[in-house]
Amino acid sequence: MTGTAKFFDSMASYNKQDTSSGLCVLCKGSRNLCGKDRCPLMIKFYSQSKTRPLIDAKDLVGSSPPAVFVGRYGYPKVDIGPLLPPDLGDTSEMDTPEMWVGKSIDSIVDFRFRLVRGKYRIDAKNFRAAGRIVDQVQELALTEKPVDVEANFSQKPRGRVILDDEVQPFGPSARMERMRAANGRFERYLERSFYDTDMKAVDGVINAYRNGTLISEIQKAFSVGTMGIDKNRRFVPTRWSITAVDDIIGKDLLKTTKFNRTIDEFRIYQWEELDNRWCILMMPCTWRFELIEAWYPNTTWNPSGKSISILSDHEFFDGRTEYASIGGCYYASRMAVNELLTEERRTAGVVIFREAHPGYVMPVGVWNVRENVRAALKMKPFKFDSLEGAMSHVDKVMDIPRKTWIANSGVLRDMMIQRRIEDYL
Amino acid sequence: MFKAEIRSDTLKSVVNIISTLIDEVKFTVDQNGMELKAVDPAHVAMIEMQIKSGAFESFSADNTEIGVDLDKIKDVLKLAGASDVISIELDEDRGKLIFKVGNITRRMNLVDTSSMGETKVPQLDLSASVTVPVSELQRGIKASESISDHIALTANEAGFSLSCEGDTDSVDLVLDKSVLSELEVKSEVRSIFPLDYFSNLVKAVPSDLSVTISLDTDFPVKINFDMADGNGNVRYLLAPRIEND
Repeated sequence: MTGTAKFFDSMASYNKQDTSSGLCVLCKGSRNLCGKDRCPLMIKFYSQSKTRPLIDAKDLVGSSPPAVFVGRYGYPKVDIGPLLPPDLGDTSEMDTPEMWVGKSIDSIVDFRFRLVRGKYRIDAKNFRAAGRIVDQVQELALTEKPVDVEANFSQKPRGRVILDDEVQPFGPSARMERMRAANGRFERYLERSFYDTDMKAVDGVINAYRNGTLISEIQKAFSVGTMGIDKNRRFVPTRWSITAVDDIIGKDLLKTTKFNRTIDEFRIYQWEELDNRWCILMMPCTWRFELIEAWYPNTTWNPSGKSISILSDHEFFDGRTEYASIGGCYYASRMAVNELLTEERRTAGVVIFREAHPGYVMPVGVWNVRENVRAALKMKPFKFDSLEGAMSHVDKVMDIPRKTWIANSGVLRDMMIQRRIEDYL
Repeated sequence: MFKAEIRSDTLKSVVNIISTLIDEVKFTVDQNGMELKAVDPAHVAMIEMQIKSGAFESFSADNTEIGVDLDKIKDVLKLAGASDVISIELDEDRGKLIFKVGNITRRMNLVDTSSMGETKVPQLDLSASVTVPVSELQRGIKASESISDHIALTANEAGFSLSCEGDTDSVDLVLDKSVLSELEVKSEVRSIFPLDYFSNLVKAVPSDLSVTISLDTDFPVKINFDMADGNGNVRYLLAPRIEND
């Protein structure tokens, strides 16, 4: 861990201007805001991991968890393919983020980096033209249990390691010429929307979710064009599909929870994992939501800053029309919060405080937010009669003082300065 | 029993005035007309509205309550031209509201009003009041929209002003005594309001009308206006923002 931290430090001089201007924390390596072709922070990291012992052959056989990946560069001409490890057996854990809460960054990264990505270029909107490999990738994504896959690459997989704040990390990749996959049983509800070419993708997602299909499974099926009205089907880059599924489910739950009765008290749920500290404030008022993230110096997206970078996004009762600047985490956490509200048949105003401490050196994907918010909400909440009481509890748990949180919060500021009609009754 | 005919442009302004705050509402009806009191979901603004039977082309009713989804009435309005007359009838037995536009009949389910409690209205004694053409306010809002998320309303002996201050830019709309048809001020008063709410309210008012604004320092603002040739009266109430550091 310290090695990684040192390495990030050394990058500070290389890239001082951009990182200290705060661009990196906005860009998170994905939007090339610094103007360079590729993110220098990421490249350094890739090159370091190249030395890892690799899968040293042009052919690979392994049990895919099952997992697929759809790239986003060059959309709609994107690389699709399976993820497979050089292992046979029950590998399902490798691509089921729902099982990862409580694991250390090191162990998650270790098993994720074993996954080799086969790449095959297709047109995402006209995927049927690409033939057999597309069928096999689709089948793989729908399958419930790990499947043995054989892939033939045009060269040995190279040690590029994908790191992304939304997508779970995975290992080296290679262009793939052929693949063969064993048969497996399809997940029941995903299979249903696969064969129902009149069902909208939104309905497919919601239907599977309500029947208990894991979100990570739905997201896989969503990304490989197995949902939606026939002529609208297409491959969706994995990164986009994760957020799309979280957003669809969250919005659907909100349709009901918004009009529920409010909770009766102020609550704080707290949680700590992967050196991320969480406080979730729920308030007895109509629906509003905010996620505030504080990135400490030397964490992934704030590698060389001298001060803590704070980002926030919020919505009020009517929802938002612009994409959240925080990205997928916003939608994942909003979905998780609404799961609790649905279960309790209540509504609330919610503010999530997240401190990413220096131990969080690697992005591990949006699942980190989704699963940890879910885990936090399973804890017994601390209850208070006033916002004042709740906020002084936040003060005790979090390092960042309440004043700073409030200054960065749209929802809390509104709560404190906006009067309500009933204040004048 | 409720049976009425109304011009579609009148109905349209009624619907717009309410739906800027809330979509599902309860009208209380008696033989003289109908009225409504409702608070928006965030409890920041409220509306009180009275429509006398004179606003309708024909009107006959007993005491009753009607719960409607305004989005559905908007659909009906799309079927009518501005001068068309829409007839509305309540079918209490089937729990339906029936709209007739020309040869189209649209039946819609009533919204259950049992869960909509009685809305309480704050009794406020606001010291200042000004009457302004709403089109002036609409211009002021247009100028403010990209500047900040809140605006300040001020009334003093010289007149009325709307000001909006952002991090870098600011906008002022000053209406001096000569433009105002009425100005009653004891001493200067000033309150701050959320711009999105204020803007939605002001934009919902038909732009040829004048509104009376009642104001005090750090109190809600009341926006009062008559419509449908004096047969309708609307009072909006909007809660202020109070910065206490």
